[in-house]
Amino acid sequence: MVKAKPAPILDVERLLALVPFISAHQGISIKDLALTFSVTPNQMNADLTTLWMCGLPGYTALELMDLSFDSGYVTIRNAETLQVPRALNFDECIALLFGLDLVKSALSEKSELHPTVDALVKRLAEKSGLTTALRATNPVSAGLRATIESALTSKLDLVIDYHSLYSDEFTQRTITPLEIRLDGGIEYLFAYCHTADAFRVFRLDRVSEATPRQVSESHMKNPTVKSDDPHECEIRITSRLRLMSERFSLENPVLSAPQKMRTYSHQWVVRSIFASAGSCELVSPTPLRAQIALKAQLILDRYMQPEHA
Amino acid sequence: MSRKSERLVNLTIALLATKRYLTKNEIFRSVEGYEGTDDAKERMFERDKDDLRSLGIEIEVGGLDPLFNDEAGYRIKPEDFKLDLGEISGIDIALLSLAAQAWNGEALNEPAHSALVKLQSMGIDSDLDAIPTLAPRMASSHHELTAVLNAIASRTMISFDYLSSDLVKQSRQVCAYAVASRDGHWYLSGLDTAKDALRTFRFDRISEEIHTVGKSGAYEIPTGFDLLSTLDVELNTSVAVVEIRKGRAHALRKLAHKIEDAGEWERIWINYGDATLFVDSILWHLDDAFVVEPQSMRESIVRTLQMLVQTHG
Repeated sequence: MVKAKPAPILDVERLLALVPFISAHQGISIKDLALTFSVTPNQMNADLTTLWMCGLPGYTALELMDLSFDSGYVTIRNAETLQVPRALNFDECIALLFGLDLVKSALSEKSELHPTVDALVKRLAEKSGLTTALRATNPVSAGLRATIESALTSKLDLVIDYHSLYSDEFTQRTITPLEIRLDGGIEYLFAYCHTADAFRVFRLDRVSEATPRQVSESHMKNPTVKSDDPHECEIRITSRLRLMSERFSLENPVLSAPQKMRTYSHQWVVRSIFASAGSCELVSPTPLRAQIALKAQLILDRYMQPEHA
Repeated sequence: MSRKSERLVNLTIALLATKRYLTKNEIFRSVEGYEGTDDAKERMFERDKDDLRSLGIEIEVGGLDPLFNDEAGYRIKPEDFKLDLGEISGIDIALLSLAAQAWNGEALNEPAHSALVKLQSMGIDSDLDAIPTLAPRMASSHHELTAVLNAIASRTMISFDYLSSDLVKQSRQVCAYAVASRDGHWYLSGLDTAKDALRTFRFDRISEEIHTVGKSGAYEIPTGFDLLSTLDVELNTSVAVVEIRKGRAHALRKLAHKIEDAGEWERIWINYGDATLFVDSILWHLDDAFVVEPQSMRESIVRTLQMLVQTHG
């Protein structure tokens, strides 16, 4: 439903936004301007040349905007008509409203900034014409992400407390963070783990603490990326097809027939079969099937014990 | 850069600076770039008006006086054109900038960035020292987000195909109330017209496109509707008592609202909504989590375990 705007229209939008931006940043370099407006320095030069020809009717030196950019640094005068930035449009309002709700959820409960955020939300909501709250939360703490991002920029190691989902254990590790990546709504931290002496991927929402520290001497003993080979498994889904296809990340899920899937962790497969509560059966490998049956019997026995019955 | 861009900027400046309505002839005479026959200029001006409108710049028509045979005049109202957020402090700018940066690379990244540029064009220094060091991020987004929000703002019904729990496409028609994001998923709530009841949909389960149906202003949105609060209520309708092994089942412990020590174990109280999904999360923890209450849930878990033994043994 979103229509892309044609090039000359986008140019006009950028030209109108440039005037107030330069007015507020007198002396900014063409390079920085190009970066801010996501265009090449050549395009920025063309933009400035066009603006240089614009102004109030009459178009004499008195009416034209007084733009100087020969030195590679830009100043603007005589641009009062366009000096105030344009009103926020609907999309801009909603982007800010969702963002403000995230900021609000990231603030501590006692923060004195809550009324300030609420007042901004109220003003933007009126402008957007939306009467319902735009809400957004993220399981990753915004303070924790700030610590990690700052370690990434200043090239510091981190000591993290990590809860491993598959083994259900808390561990403390020293890592060299490399990159944060978003995949399917989940944020991952790619890092070199000095505790394991290997590259590891951590789910950001499972990191509970992160403390920066100076880079350790034993820096990356095994700098080659060694990925484990995936194991092949076969599963058979008997019900709740949508949930199962989401859980096992299946592209072409089918009901009742056995289908192959790949995994890097047997622990994960066992837990996922249990968490499917009968909607999915493991067909192969056989040793893992036996493990599931044994485990299920063990849990069953406890449920059947008289003191727990 | 085309002559057209230059003309559109000049037209905007002229219509914005004028205190009174400018007639077409005044525009053609004074704004640089209108050339050719009267007919050509006329067509050029009509297209320019449409182009500016597509940028959200509304040209007001007025100056018609029935007593005089006046020509229609045009202007852009500065109060509609210019950013006016009232009193804005450096702290406000810092908070709004943080909000805009949350979209880093996600669907609303472009409008978030253009909003940020506008905020940075106000000539007010961002007071970063007054706010804590935070890096909030949208965990994900969906390309139909703005389409749905436009429909909500104009209260226009929408229709889409939704994947049922058996992965069957079902056609839904919804009076959308609100959109929200939680735990990496986007949700849409509204009145499902066929079921005449409030329903919540996950964006990634909507198959293909979302279409608008009928006219705007077709329904009312309950005042103060808040999707996440509604979800919270749905997720907290019942209480279960669970025994978890010490040092294990951390994900369940995090959800507990009451914890009691029980030797090798801990007894915890957890709120839940959907019993089936709750059983799934209990079973994920294998022999580190046992349901004590409700009894019906214990029975359902026992049946599931018996089935697992039978099918995998």
